[in-house]
Amino acid sequence: MSAESSDHVSLRYEIRVVGHLDPRWSAWFEGLSLSLENDGTTLISGPIPDQAALHGVLRRLRDIGLTLVSITQIDAMGPADT
Amino acid sequence: MPDRLLDTKYRIPPRRPGLIGRPRLDALLEDGREARLMLVSAPAGFGKTTLLVEWLAGSAADERAVAWLSLDPRDNDPAVFWAYLATAIEAAAPGIGASALAVLQAPGASTESALAALLNDLGDFASGFVVILDDYHVIESGAVNDGMTFILEHLPAGVHLVIAGRADPSLPLAKLRSRGELVEIRAADLRFTDPESAVYLNTGMGLELDEADVATLAARTEGWIAALQMAAVAMRGREDVSSFITDFAGDDRYIVDYLLEEVLQRQSATVRDFLLGTSILGRLNGPLCDAVTGQDGGRATLESLDRSNLFVVALDDRRQWYRYHHLFADVLRARLLDEQPDRVAELHLRASAWLEEDGDRAEAIRHSMAAGDFVRAADLVELALSASRKDRQEATLRSWLEALPPEAIREKPVLSLAMAGALLANGELAGVEEQLANTEAWLSTADETDPEVRGLRSALTVYRAAQSNALGDADASMAFARRALDLVDKDDHIGQGAAAGLLALAHWSRGDLEDAHDLWAGAVTSLQKAGHLSDAIGCSMAVADIRIQQGGLTEAMGVYAWGLELSAAQDSVLRGTADMHVGMSELFLQRGDLDSASRHLLASEELGEDAGLPQNRYRSKVAMALVREAEGDPGAALDLLDEARHLYVGDFYPDVRPVAALRARTLLALGRTLEALDWVRDRALSTDDELSYVREFEHITLARIRMAQAVGDKTAEPLRDASRLLERLLVAAKEGGRLGSVIEILVLQALARKSSGQIDSAVTTLREAVALGEHELYVRAFTSNGAILVPLLRGLIKAPGAPRHARRLLAVLNKSKPNAASSPGSGTRELIEPLSGRELDVLQLLDTALTGPAIARELVVSLNTVRSHTKSIFAKFGVNNRREAVSRARDLGLLPRSTSG
Repeated sequence: MSAESSDHVSLRYEIRVVGHLDPRWSAWFEGLSLSLENDGTTLISGPIPDQAALHGVLRRLRDIGLTLVSITQIDAMGPADT
Repeated sequence: MPDRLLDTKYRIPPRRPGLIGRPRLDALLEDGREARLMLVSAPAGFGKTTLLVEWLAGSAADERAVAWLSLDPRDNDPAVFWAYLATAIEAAAPGIGASALAVLQAPGASTESALAALLNDLGDFASGFVVILDDYHVIESGAVNDGMTFILEHLPAGVHLVIAGRADPSLPLAKLRSRGELVEIRAADLRFTDPESAVYLNTGMGLELDEADVATLAARTEGWIAALQMAAVAMRGREDVSSFITDFAGDDRYIVDYLLEEVLQRQSATVRDFLLGTSILGRLNGPLCDAVTGQDGGRATLESLDRSNLFVVALDDRRQWYRYHHLFADVLRARLLDEQPDRVAELHLRASAWLEEDGDRAEAIRHSMAAGDFVRAADLVELALSASRKDRQEATLRSWLEALPPEAIREKPVLSLAMAGALLANGELAGVEEQLANTEAWLSTADETDPEVRGLRSALTVYRAAQSNALGDADASMAFARRALDLVDKDDHIGQGAAAGLLALAHWSRGDLEDAHDLWAGAVTSLQKAGHLSDAIGCSMAVADIRIQQGGLTEAMGVYAWGLELSAAQDSVLRGTADMHVGMSELFLQRGDLDSASRHLLASEELGEDAGLPQNRYRSKVAMALVREAEGDPGAALDLLDEARHLYVGDFYPDVRPVAALRARTLLALGRTLEALDWVRDRALSTDDELSYVREFEHITLARIRMAQAVGDKTAEPLRDASRLLERLLVAAKEGGRLGSVIEILVLQALARKSSGQIDSAVTTLREAVALGEHELYVRAFTSNGAILVPLLRGLIKAPGAPRHARRLLAVLNKSKPNAASSPGSGTRELIEPLSGRELDVLQLLDTALTGPAIARELVVSLNTVRSHTKSIFAKFGVNNRREAVSRARDLGLLPRSTSG
């Protein structure tokens, strides 16, 4: 299944940035969860409705000057968690 | 134009005290002075704006004028962006930019012509110009990026563009880079080095740090200026600076989180609350802050934040308006969202109320949407609607409508209708019915004597007609359009024009040419009165198309000339001007004047794509193909038709000359009859088909193909088929009053009769065609069939009383080159300089009994103007009086052969 064919399904993404991000940023990132990793990075993860929303998240990262390490789509199957 | 332009957007931001010089970057900046584009691209908080402000205060500007524009997301509406850019330039050098502003305000003007006007003005400004666009990363609009690309590619010498932002813009950077026309200042250049950090912290911020502490801070922040600034604020007045630095360096937290915590802890509760509450604002002043926080003293608080370097940026020298440093504002907002989520909506609502009162409706709408108060947002959008439509901010309007939830739109018939209009304009038919039905339901219980309700009812009926038309239901479209014409207020020229145009379409697609013509002409008049000149030109294309089908080539030429004249009278090139040239090209081609046909195609091309309606992209290729074929190069014609096929955009005009059918004809000219037959199969065409107006061109093409088949066929069947079809087509074309088709069919009949050996009958038929074509000087309709006509024409000329036109046609066919066809006989030459549109108008009237003053009245110009046009016509023709001019014009095909018929 390709990402394009599942516009109506939220896909889960993991976005890794440099630095430990305070958990209070969760609201800013529309409820995505933040986990602090031992290597000094933060993993921002959760369901993201579509590509436009993903780009919105990336823009927010850019706007607060965070350094992006990686973006991974962690599953491509099934509907968003309910 | 936006309802109100904020001057703080196009003022150079005030300088800040306590900044450090950056001689390290001087060399780069010096190069940037001379480059076409200097790009300052780095994340938030890298000192991009400050660098540019200091650069301007230093040596950058010299004599040059400097236009500054700080962008925000609203500038993604091209109408808003260009208005601000032109205003910024006008503010930098009064007078420059004014013509572009005038063009932008003219309805129907193309963006490209406004930009061309702007570039011209900039190029004329002798002492040079620097145009700075800050925060360009907010621009996502393709239309704005396209326009900026156009500007970059046409930037006059002496004009330099500077773009600053957090992301590289979607502009042709690689091309500029390879030409050495781009200077880039990036994050690596902007980061503070250790010595710079030392100067900034110790001299700029008044700290007394030793080298080791500075190095630690610089390493932890990696020279990120915003972080160093926050660190400096956090350290100010602290006893234990060294331990602060040690803790900070040993912490893994995101720098901004760590430092903000430190900074906020050192503020009073009131200030903290103020910072969080006002973080939702894009711009701040005292009264707005008071309204949002519900406290007094907003202005004093802002001033104290400014003094203590707490991340506010003054937007004007009087220090009335401020904004937070973007990064700081984002961080504060995130904290507000986390700490006081219930307060957010209320804050936005208060901001919205204050901004509405202050007249900034767009910002008021943004805040009410952010508050989730869509009822209020819908109210404001409704208020903004009429103004916005007049000002062509369609993109902004559309984005508002899309941001509103469906229920909010359903509540308001005005919004529902606007949504239907936006969808129809984009050809998105799917959602239209819901909106129209909703409006209808609302109207069913409304008081129809209320003028506003009546206005809605008439607009709804126009949209219903448009919807039926788009769905291909001509009967329904006609019924709605008729009702709309009655309902629409007589002074509502746009509504009248739209209704008349839709009714005209319905008539046209049925082949009611005369009714369709009159309605289109009415639509043109209404749209012109409404000031929608580009739309008026679009509708005049239909007027000309119809006249051409009826055999009124001269009148069609007059329509195109009118369009060119209308465009010439504007400050800018109207969209649709190129279409007029393409139309003229086809007419000249029909009259055998290949040179003029090519010249007008060139004129269309030189005007650029933006001067053409969307259809012109393929129409111009078709016209070019016809010229190539007339020049004897059907191969090139075929390629052009293939291009045209890909560029084809359907409009609502009946496609009475499909590109695929033209292509089949060109295949015949290339002797590729089998491929032409493929087209016949694709279109499921048969000589026994029921005939209809919209398929006439295809059926005549089919007759041609059958005749071509007959050449290699021993049986008489293909020819008999073709003859039967042509007979039926002739009756239909005569009934429909389509003279152009009648002539073409008669010529084919003559050829078919010749093929079956009926020479006398063939000559008689051709004679009828020639006689019909004489008045309007049809040439190509005959000569496109080639030398095969020559014996018939010879036979025709021998007979007594043969039309003069026959000799002319023969002369054309006998020339080795098929051009110069329109000027047979001796002593006539091609015009070196073509007549202008206005001269063509005057010429038409010279061929009447009108006196000079009467001509002036007719054209609504002064007698002197008429005289100067007449003199110019005489000069171009090389004649000395009116009679000679008219006679010469007849030879050139600019006037019909004889006005008496």
